[in-house]
Amino acid sequence: MIEVGGLRVRWPHADDDVLAGTDLDVRPGEHVLVLGASGSGKSTLLRTLAGVVPQQVDAQTWGRVQVAGRRVLAPSGPGRPSVPTTTTAHLARDVGTLTQDPWAQLCLPTVTDEVASGLEHRGVPAAEIDARVREALRAVGAAHLADRRTATLSGGEGQRVALAAVLAARPRVLLLDEPTALLDPAGAAGVARALQAAGGPDRTTLLVEHRLDEHDGAGPGGTGGLPERVVVLGARGRVVADGPTADVLGDAGGHLAALGTWLPWAAELAASGARRLADVEAAPVPSRGTPGPALLEARGLVVHRGGRRVLDGVSLAVRAGRVTAVVGLNGSGKSSLLLALAGLLPADGVVRGGRAALVLQRPEQQLLARTVRDEVAWGPRRAGARDAEARADAALARYGLTAVAGADPFRLSGGQQRRLALASVTVCDHEVVLADEPTFGQDRATWRSCAVSLRGLADEGRGVVLVTHDVRLVAEVADDVLVLRDGRALAHGPVEAVLRSGVLAGAGLPLPPAVRAALADGRGAAGVLAGVAAATVRAGAPAGVGP
Amino acid sequence: MSAAPAGASPDGRAAPRARRTALARRDPTVVLATLLVVSLLLLVPVDPWTPLTLLVLTVAAARAAAVPWSTLARGLASFGPFALSVLAVNLVTRPGAPVARVAGLTVTDVGVLVGTGLALRTVLVGTLAVVVAASLDPVRLVASLHRHARLGARGAAALLAAHRVLEQLPARWVAVRQAQAARLPGPRPTRAGALPTSPDLLVRAAFTLLVVTLRQAQQMAVTLETRGVGSGPRTVHRPARLGAGDAVLAAVAVGTTVVVGAVLWRLGLLETWASVGG
Repeated sequence: MIEVGGLRVRWPHADDDVLAGTDLDVRPGEHVLVLGASGSGKSTLLRTLAGVVPQQVDAQTWGRVQVAGRRVLAPSGPGRPSVPTTTTAHLARDVGTLTQDPWAQLCLPTVTDEVASGLEHRGVPAAEIDARVREALRAVGAAHLADRRTATLSGGEGQRVALAAVLAARPRVLLLDEPTALLDPAGAAGVARALQAAGGPDRTTLLVEHRLDEHDGAGPGGTGGLPERVVVLGARGRVVADGPTADVLGDAGGHLAALGTWLPWAAELAASGARRLADVEAAPVPSRGTPGPALLEARGLVVHRGGRRVLDGVSLAVRAGRVTAVVGLNGSGKSSLLLALAGLLPADGVVRGGRAALVLQRPEQQLLARTVRDEVAWGPRRAGARDAEARADAALARYGLTAVAGADPFRLSGGQQRRLALASVTVCDHEVVLADEPTFGQDRATWRSCAVSLRGLADEGRGVVLVTHDVRLVAEVADDVLVLRDGRALAHGPVEAVLRSGVLAGAGLPLPPAVRAALADGRGAAGVLAGVAAATVRAGAPAGVGP
Repeated sequence: MSAAPAGASPDGRAAPRARRTALARRDPTVVLATLLVVSLLLLVPVDPWTPLTLLVLTVAAARAAAVPWSTLARGLASFGPFALSVLAVNLVTRPGAPVARVAGLTVTDVGVLVGTGLALRTVLVGTLAVVVAASLDPVRLVASLHRHARLGARGAAALLAAHRVLEQLPARWVAVRQAQAARLPGPRPTRAGALPTSPDLLVRAAFTLLVVTLRQAQQMAVTLETRGVGSGPRTVHRPARLGAGDAVLAAVAVGTTVVVGAVLWRLGLLETWASVGG
């Protein structure tokens, strides 16, 4: 169903290939999970299979690609670049594509129109369209959204509608590029279940994904939901492991972790070299002693947005040296709380303290300058700091951005932009740093880099508030947790006490397997999880990888 | 997602739907064509009585068709300033008998007649345009243009995607300004929710908005390709069919304009460029 031979892809003006000889064969009805580090070319591979590269995204290509019996790329002569032989739109008659951002995939005003449009463009008779729209929406659990305007959907709802729009066309091949990356746990679980249902012997799927526990948990009985075959891409898209999922995750788990790839919890634990969690040495967690003074204090905050009370009497003290996590489902008021704390949203109640820096979920919205260096130096320069340049250099080095200091910030990768956003706000000496979903959609390496940075900011005496759905991040980094539901505080207290109380599940945030296991271990979840992560990376070695 | 996307209500819940006006039930291509014809007919009279009479009739018909006052007020607010500038220029630049002197400039009788007429015509056409724009469903419009005006499949899809992007633009502008305000050093804002208005920051925010929007548009273009846009003859889920109501709408709108003009001509109130010597 998918045949890729000697595929090479090179971006314009690049010195190296992003894919340098990828070979892959996928049989009809096979479901394949593609793993690899950031930059290994996973998304490029999927976009080439869909015909997007090089037709909509310019690139030079070599090799041959055939999908669903259609030649996608073919050599134009011996040693010469390959050329597209089927347009993306024609390929779409057999190939469905779902990417991570629902807002880039919803192009029409209403849900029904969105799902119907793909059928219209594929020439499906008008009399069949209504039934197929209903069938597709039902298949992804979105039948109740049929009359909604797409602009009013939540991220999880939007992604399920986008999936319905893909499935309605009954594609023989489904290309899924991190379909749950930007969703909250409930949304991710819903999409994972919908994808599980959309598989089957008549359809071939290729899935690139970080959040493996959600897909694993979508299987019957809450496990076994991952595709049956795993392909691991190494540097520049070379296939370094390929085989049954259990075998590859078992054999190459450590190497995958070292590459920066997420693993399902069971595979991560196995990759650490321990037979059971108790055998893993917990990482030392410095004692954080008594809480420091309150740097920012909010009492009885009430916020109205869109005619609705989204925050209702919430109080929070941000203390020096502490990380406070704010958790809750979409619509619980988390982002409104951050904006109110930053003074960017009108609010009733009292907020006392200095200016707080805020790192938003979409870092590109915060960019102000034309080079990475100017971006980092912008704040200190505006504040008139004499050492602005030196501080910028130090921040660039601290966040691993020195090598791209002259680059255009808009052209950085998602992970780099996130580090740049952190560097740009922390260089300004704000006493309080607020971060909205700092680890959303990140691979394991970038995730850890963000977690270490946030903890580091608190350890140097700042107060940190992070809004997140990522309960593992909360368990590893936070000191306190505030749980919001419908704009009200459901619980507020030390992290382990809140996580053990079961209140998160009540707020729609079930504990992931890793956190459940670490809490049950009893040695301190933060230390245990960091210990597993360190042991897993230590155990990873390229020699351990092989087909 | 934690933050509500641009254009969404904070909780992602559906906004209540506006009541569908009688105009919204008509075929959009017919509505647009009728608007064009009426606007062309209005180029003929330059007196104030014709546009004033038609403006009164338009407001009455719009209210009868359940168009809210707020929509009508939006038309006045949007086109009122332009109408005033048209009036001011014509008052003092037309030949004719002087009727007053203002700030050293002579106001003529023809200037008053033509200026008032053109200003009222501006308000009338603006009100018609706003009422029509508020009543048009973009999907029906594109489907109708595809069927009746031979708009291509790619063009139709691009128009709808552009509508989505524009729909999100105001909320995205606020989000970008909030995001950039969060980078500012110095003391806490004295008034919660007040965003900086310095030209430098507004220019930077506009550039960021441009880049973010272009990127979204590019991603949507790729999405449309992967949905098969332009891969062959398309079908239409909700085909646009012309009905008797569409013919009635066109006949009533164009007929009323012609009849009003004829009656005013018989009464000696209709003026044209030829009769005023413009």
